[in-house]
Amino acid sequence: MNLVPAVGSAAALVIGTVLLVVRRRALAAAQGSEQESDLQKRYKKHLILGVLALWLGCGLGLGMLAPPQQAELHVSVFAPRMTLLGFDVSSSVVVGWIAMALVTLAALWARIFVIPKFQEQPKGLQLALERMVGFFGEYTQEKAGFSSDPLSAYMLTIALYLSACAITELFGLRPPTADLVMTGSIALITFFMIQYFGLQHKGVGGRIKSFAQPTPIVFPFKILSDIATPVSLACRLYGNMLGGMIVMHLVYMALGTFGVGIPAVLGLYFNAFHPLIQVFIFVTLSLTFIGEAAE
Amino acid sequence: MDGMVAIGAGLAVLTGLGAGIGMGIATSKAAEAVGRQPEASGKINSLLMLGLALTESTAIYGFVTALIIIFQS
Repeated sequence: MNLVPAVGSAAALVIGTVLLVVRRRALAAAQGSEQESDLQKRYKKHLILGVLALWLGCGLGLGMLAPPQQAELHVSVFAPRMTLLGFDVSSSVVVGWIAMALVTLAALWARIFVIPKFQEQPKGLQLALERMVGFFGEYTQEKAGFSSDPLSAYMLTIALYLSACAITELFGLRPPTADLVMTGSIALITFFMIQYFGLQHKGVGGRIKSFAQPTPIVFPFKILSDIATPVSLACRLYGNMLGGMIVMHLVYMALGTFGVGIPAVLGLYFNAFHPLIQVFIFVTLSLTFIGEAAE
Repeated sequence: MDGMVAIGAGLAVLTGLGAGIGMGIATSKAAEAVGRQPEASGKINSLLMLGLALTESTAIYGFVTALIIIFQS
């Protein structure tokens, strides 16, 4: 047991705690009085030094308890394989099931416990649920040009599922959306929906004729762009999620045992905000292409 | 790592150049528009987000290509 890190870690933890407790006591004593902002300014140094000392203490302490192995950056563009009940599956499948279980359990809980208690005047959770469903209905109408209940329900499901996939990254697992096969399959569903709604609104002859607008020369280009649409959707989501995952890997690798607190702040962007934007883009683009085909 | 692999990956990531310039121009126009008409800030904001995510995808294609080049050969 190395003496220097042990003593240093213990000292830093004690100093940090003392500083923060002193600050909290001084501020609580003058609660609501005029000098509160002066006191906050006076004790700002305590806050900064206290948090810094706590971070240092945690880093040194963890370095002693769990020394890191020298890790080089191991990124694979494919998900690692594992065996499950004799089948050779990739980890995205299993983590995808976990995300599915999360969303299904939440939906079941809402259906069994929340919906029977709905009132005429919605408030609270009922209001949030109604707003969410209503927003997707309006959004479908706005982007796709026609109103379709199954379509907006499907888009809401996909949005919730992809968000749950992104949240699993907060728990250290490799997100299923960082796998080209997974994003490719969802983009393939969008491709089939584009064809289905196009054929439903225009018929087979009308759809083929729409490929030849405005001149017949653009016929092969339109077919190519129809095929490129799901590819671009899949690659966009895959590339963004993979990039976020790599950046978080790099941060954890660089900080080593001092990765307490700072990766959480970065994770707020890379694991929470960025995936939600990408999910929104995915849904918007799907609806736009469906609307274009059905117009 | 092979020399050609490194050169290939470096060339692939050059797509970020165009994406960066394009996104900068788009953001400047959006900021101008908001300055001209602050009530439309919500619509301009969502339009900007959509445009940025689409433009960013070309940079992402190059990035993913470079990753595949590095880690698969």
